[in-house]
Parts: sequence; C-alpha cells; structure tokens
Amino acid sequence: MGRSYIVEEAVEGYLTKQCEQKAGPVTGLLIGQSSTQREFVVTATRTPQREEPLAAGDSPDKQWVTEHARQVSRMLPGGLSVLGVFIVTDIDAKDSLATLRKLVFAVENLISSERLWNPADDDVTDCVALHVNPKTRKTFCRTFDIKDPKQSVAKPADWKYQSGVCSSWSTVSCSLSVDMLVPLPDDRTDLEDMDKCLKEGLKVWAHQLESAVCLIDGRKLSEDMELVGGQKRNVRQTYTAQLLITPDERRATDVVQRCGGSVSVRGAIHSRAYLHSNKPKAKLAEKLLKRDAVSTVATRAQMLLEELLTSDGESKGSGRDRPQRGTHNELFCLPHRIFCPVKASGPVCVCDYHFSDEGLSVVTDRLKEMLDIDAAEKDLDTRQETPAEVLEGEAAAEPTVETIEALEPKRNRYIGVAMATVVAFLATAASMLYLNDV
Amino acid sequence: MHKVISRTFETLQSQVKSESCVLTVCDSPVIIWPNRGLECKFLFLIQSVINLRLMMEATKTGRPLSAPILSRTVHKSHFLSTTFPVDCVVRTTVNETIKDAFERLLEALTHQLCEMEKVTLQHIKGTTLLVPQPLHFLLPEPKGLVTVVYPAGVPDSQLETQRKELHQQFELPDDWPYFRRANAYHFPNEPYKDGYLRNPHLGLTHPTLDNGKVYLVQGFYSYHHYMQDHVDDNGWGCAYRSLQTICSWFQQQGFVERAVPTHREIQQALLDVGDKQASFVGSRQWIGSIEVQVVLNQLLGVTSKIMFVSQGSELASKGRELANHFLTDGTPIMIGGGVLAHTILGVAWSETSGQIRYLILDPHYTGAEDSQVITDKGWCGWKGPDFWDQIAYYNLCLPQRPKVI
Repeated sequence: MGRSYIVEEAVEGYLTKQCEQKAGPVTGLLIGQSSTQREFVVTATRTPQREEPLAAGDSPDKQWVTEHARQVSRMLPGGLSVLGVFIVTDIDAKDSLATLRKLVFAVENLISSERLWNPADDDVTDCVALHVNPKTRKTFCRTFDIKDPKQSVAKPADWKYQSGVCSSWSTVSCSLSVDMLVPLPDDRTDLEDMDKCLKEGLKVWAHQLESAVCLIDGRKLSEDMELVGGQKRNVRQTYTAQLLITPDERRATDVVQRCGGSVSVRGAIHSRAYLHSNKPKAKLAEKLLKRDAVSTVATRAQMLLEELLTSDGESKGSGRDRPQRGTHNELFCLPHRIFCPVKASGPVCVCDYHFSDEGLSVVTDRLKEMLDIDAAEKDLDTRQETPAEVLEGEAAAEPTVETIEALEPKRNRYIGVAMATVVAFLATAASMLYLNDV
Repeated sequence: MHKVISRTFETLQSQVKSESCVLTVCDSPVIIWPNRGLECKFLFLIQSVINLRLMMEATKTGRPLSAPILSRTVHKSHFLSTTFPVDCVVRTTVNETIKDAFERLLEALTHQLCEMEKVTLQHIKGTTLLVPQPLHFLLPEPKGLVTVVYPAGVPDSQLETQRKELHQQFELPDDWPYFRRANAYHFPNEPYKDGYLRNPHLGLTHPTLDNGKVYLVQGFYSYHHYMQDHVDDNGWGCAYRSLQTICSWFQQQGFVERAVPTHREIQQALLDVGDKQASFVGSRQWIGSIEVQVVLNQLLGVTSKIMFVSQGSELASKGRELANHFLTDGTPIMIGGGVLAHTILGVAWSETSGQIRYLILDPHYTGAEDSQVITDKGWCGWKGPDFWDQIAYYNLCLPQRPKVI
C-alpha cells in the first residue's frame, strides 16, 4: 500500500508556473507534514537560481539543491519539514527517477545530520520524489524509504490536490526560557571549539526537554488523547504549552573540570508547532514542539557562529577584547524569530531569523530567495520575540566570570501522614515506650 | 570559590521561591504552583505518604521575553556541574490547609538549601566538592521525622561530632545511634533493594499472658534462611543463617558498615582466629553459639554473652534473663542445641505466673520471601516451652549492643 499525499491546491499552480520556465530542469522542495496515514504538502519552493542557470540537458546540481534544503529546513517551524524533492523536466519520468532518488537521499542525509534530537520510532521515514512533465503537466509520484538506502525501491504513491489543506490546522506554542552553560576546554577556546561545545550542551538540553513534562492548555494529557475533539472545519485552534523540567538524576560527572572558559546562552525563545487537522494526538504536539525548541536555538547559534567565522572573529555584539589577566568576555545577541504566513488565510507560517542591526528587508529577501514567498514587511509577525539588547556597560560588569555552577536540585518530597495514620503511628510509639520502662 | 558557591545557592533559593517552581504529585495528574497563590484543584489523597517531585517551569507566559544572548568567556577556571538531591519531609494532618502545608514544605526546602550550603562549604577540599545528601531519621515521639544533611562519601566514623551535636540538640540518650546513616527512615511505600524481608514479626499478634509483658528485639533485621543467595545450605546452615540475621541487625542500626557475611566469610573468620582448620572453609560443617560469638567478635567487633542450659526444660525459667536482654540490648539471640539452631526475637513472660512464650525466627525455611507464608506457617512465630527438646542442652549467644551514637 503506497503513501497518500494530500496537496494544497496552490502547489498545483506553483508547479504549473515552473513548467513555463524556458531553461533547463527545475528542481525544488516539497514542504509539509507527515502523519502515519497520509502526508500533507503545504507548499513548494523551487531551488534558487544559480549564477549560471542550468541548460536544458544538464542534470541538477546536487550540492546546490541540498544546501537549499538545509537553509529551508531552518526556516520551518515545528510540524513542517522538507518532505521531498520535485523536478520539472522533459526527461522521461522513469529515467529521472535515479536523479530524484539521489537528490532525495542527499537532502535527507544533510538535514538529518544537523538534527540534535533523536528520531522517534513512530516517525515516518518515507520521502517523496515528484516528477512533473512540463508539456503534459502530468505528475509521477514515488516514495523512497530513507531508513534503508540500499534496499529502498521507489514505491508508488498517490498525489491528490485539495483546497484548504491546512486551513484548520492547530498551533501549539510556548515561550521557553533557555539557560545553558557549557565549559570550554582548557587549552582551546576559539570559535570551532565553541561550536562543538555548544552542540554538546544543546544535546544535553534537548535530552532534558525530551523528558520534560508537557502541559497543553494547563493540563497534562495522556499521549494518545486527541488534541482536537469534535472540531468544526475551518475553526483554528491555538494551544499554549508549558514545559516542566527536572535535572538529570545521575550526572555522568560530578567532577570538577579545568576549563579555559565557558559559553552561556540565556534568554527566551518562542517555539511553535503546527498540527494537521486529522485527529492529532497530544503525543505528536509534544514531540513537534520540543523538536522545534531545540532546532530554533541550534539554528540561531549556528547562524551566529557562521557569521563570526566568516567575519574572521570580529564580534557582532558589543563585546570588546579585554586582555586583562588573559580573560575576556564577549556578548553576542542571537537573532530573534520572525514569522511569515505561507498563504494569506491559513495559520501556517514559516520563519526566519533577524539580527537587530539588519533591516527587515533582509528577511523579505531571504523569504523570496529560499521559499519563493512574496512578502511585504507588514506581513511579517515580529511580535513573538523581542530582540536581545546588550548594553555597552554589560561586558564590563563581570570581567572574571567564574564558571562553577550547580544545576537545579533534584527532589523527592513527601508530605506525609494524614490523621488516621498519625494515630496508628503514635500508638506504635506508645507501645514501644511502654516496653522500655520496666 | 566559596563566594561562587554561595552565589549559586542564592540562585537556587530564588528559583525555589519563584513562580516557575512547580510540584507534581507522583503517580497522579495533580500539579501545583506553590508560589502562585496556590491555584490547584485537588482532592486530598487517602494515602499516608504523598510523594512530590519538584520541577521548574521552563516556559513563561505574558510579555514576550528577549531573545537569547550568547556570552563567551575566556578565563582559565574550574567548572563543576552537579545535581543536589534535595529531599524534604513535612508531616501534616487532615486539619491543616493545603496552603499551609505547602508553605511549610517550601520553608523546609529553603532551609535544606541553607543546610546544604553549609555542609558543602564545610567540606570543600581544594577543588573537590562533596555532594550534600539529606537523610531522614525517625526520632522518638513527639520529635518525629528529622532531616539531616550529610556530606556524601564521608563515612559515619568521621561524623561523630556532628552526631553528638544532634543528640544534644534533640536531647537524645547517648546509647542508641539514631543518626547513623543506616538508621535513615525507610518510607512505607519504598521497596527494599536487597530483596530480604524486614521484621516479619511485626505482622504477628503477640500472646497475652496473665500479668505478662512482651519484650521484643529493637530496631530492624532481615530474615536470613536456607537456600537464599543461591547457597544450598539445607540441613547444615541454620546457625550460619541465624548469625546472618544477627549481623543484619548490626548493619541496619548503623553499628557496622560491613555487609552481612556469606557462609564462606564466616568460615574464613573462624579459620583466621585459629578456631578451625583450613579444611573447614568450603565445608558443610555446622557451627554453634560459641562460633557465632567468635565470628561476631572477629568480623563486627561485637561482644556477646553465652548462656548455657543443661536441658531444654530449663529454658522455661529463663524469662527474666531473656526479658532483660531485650530491654537493655535489644539484639536477636541465636540459640543452638539438639541439632538445631534458631533465632529468638522476643519473649512474652509473666513474672507472676511464670508463663513464657518465645518469638522464634526459624532459619530452616526454604521458600521464597513471602511474609504471608512465613507468618501463617509459623516460620516466624510465637512458640511455647515445649518447642525445645526438653532433654538436650542448649547454648544461647546474646550479642551485646555497643553503647555508642
């Protein structure tokens, strides 16, 4: 039995437009959400033009396509992911299957290598490969199971257009505070080491989040409970989530380590996940939200590091080198998250990250380039997060930041002994006293 | 370093007092925000012990907060990350309001953090930090449960000064080690990790004799019997098992830290003192009360008195001695004679009528740790004077409790 893809009508229009391209093959990404029964495709975006566009007979540039996918993946909030690849080409569908297969696997490999969370057992592992014939507009849809690259054969899949696919999707969101402190190794404190250490720290945080208790609209729902009960179509649901964390029971090291410094990330992020309207379960909401939280912090840290590395270590924040006693402290503002709706009417948004010293046009340009979305600055939702501010004086406040810190305590507590038991308890004690006084 | 530690504790204190502090009731969907005016809809549970878990809410509602700042510090220093195992107990009654009970719980938590800070700072050595561990101790009424914070890794033997202070503070006599770690209170809903039954005699109804009183072993012991620990000692190991029961008593009251010895270790001890030949170790030879006394001395440093009766019928007249033993020492007694060994856990005795019953723990049981079976079938039960072989002679080993704290 093959997979079923329910595709937003607007995607059909978009693919048709790609058919009208004169030049060589057009590739692109299909974006949406998987569920065990079917997949929902919400939008599509063509691979951005390179400087030298492909000619008619060229095969797609795998590197370029996968890099595009990586960038796009960072712009997708929870619940949205790159489902697969499409290609619009004259070449026969069966013949381009091999190319598609290569692209699908390459894209998936790159995206999953950046993930800091572990895949769950119930994750869908099929990716879609869509071939569109530009003359006949016919679609040829296959899926590959990326779990097993060697064995994987193309399986046929259904491709159906429908209007308002995501118009009644739910949104779960929260404002999550981040407080991470990671030591840097004793002798290496440059940017690459910071990158590695941060990733480790993020993994630990991701693990903590994974075991955090998730409340939805103030209640802890059991995993299989459906989130939306008896909802009418076209009524949007938004849920607020709360996450309660406990520290790890057993820390691998209670040992004091020498370090050359530390990196901390402190602040708050807005995390969000979209859920399809086909009876989504609480477990899914929790999983997608938590993954989004980890991804958004990781993406921002990554973006900052990339900026720093390319500008050769020049700081973007207001830190200054303080050569006093071989110590210095630099503060960098991580970019804040901005959302942009995919279509005028649906609740689903994509996002981008904005450094406060850039204009908003940077965001609209990126949205156009990466996701082929024409957005005006007024369409952007900038209210979910406020940009961080680092005051000039802050860097001077603590020139020697010591890094001994204890995490939150673990606790088991007992409120004990209601009245009935107190009586019994006293009685036992009394009889013991009685015995003792001879 | 002290300053940093104190500052860290300050942060923890403020976290506990903040609105992000959350208490969840284990095994139930109830969640409480104690610092938010206690808005919790709940039903007080009939359980006698309610376990709560402290968590922190990582999400915030209200105005959007500012995006994260990454701070990179280059500074040669030391880094320590640890989890403090905070554990508080509050005893409450049905009459107390939920709000008051939780306020007291939070006070206890804050107080414990202070105690932990003190203990941590007190026991820093260079860059090594000892984790402060809270333990609960059940003191005689009306004092009830008391929580003490000890540094992990420091053995009881080095903490005597602290225990002396506690004894003074709580006005406790100096002859029972209330505050040794082994005497930490075991909550009724916690299973024992080692799988042995504790105090199976507690489920029994004690005999009522005219003008009689019941004198029992004090404290806790584990029931050791045939076939445990994958050792098939059926037919020869009864005295060894009785000895193990006695050793468990000394371990659980905190007098010794040594684990209960195996048959081999017992035999080795007897070889070490020169009481037996080398061939004894690994054999299935029986031991008697004298050997029990020797091993208790050799392995645990415990002295014992030996009581001898030339015939079993005389045991009926030993009520006073046995009663006194349980009053002053309170340790289990090993009795051997007539090819059998048993453990005496208590005596019911009437001074006026001379009637006597013995609470016997029988090491000849070969079944599983089923307290129902053990009490129903009399493997732990009250026996009359006819339980003993009236003609055989018996030796009793009465271990003496060291009068220490």
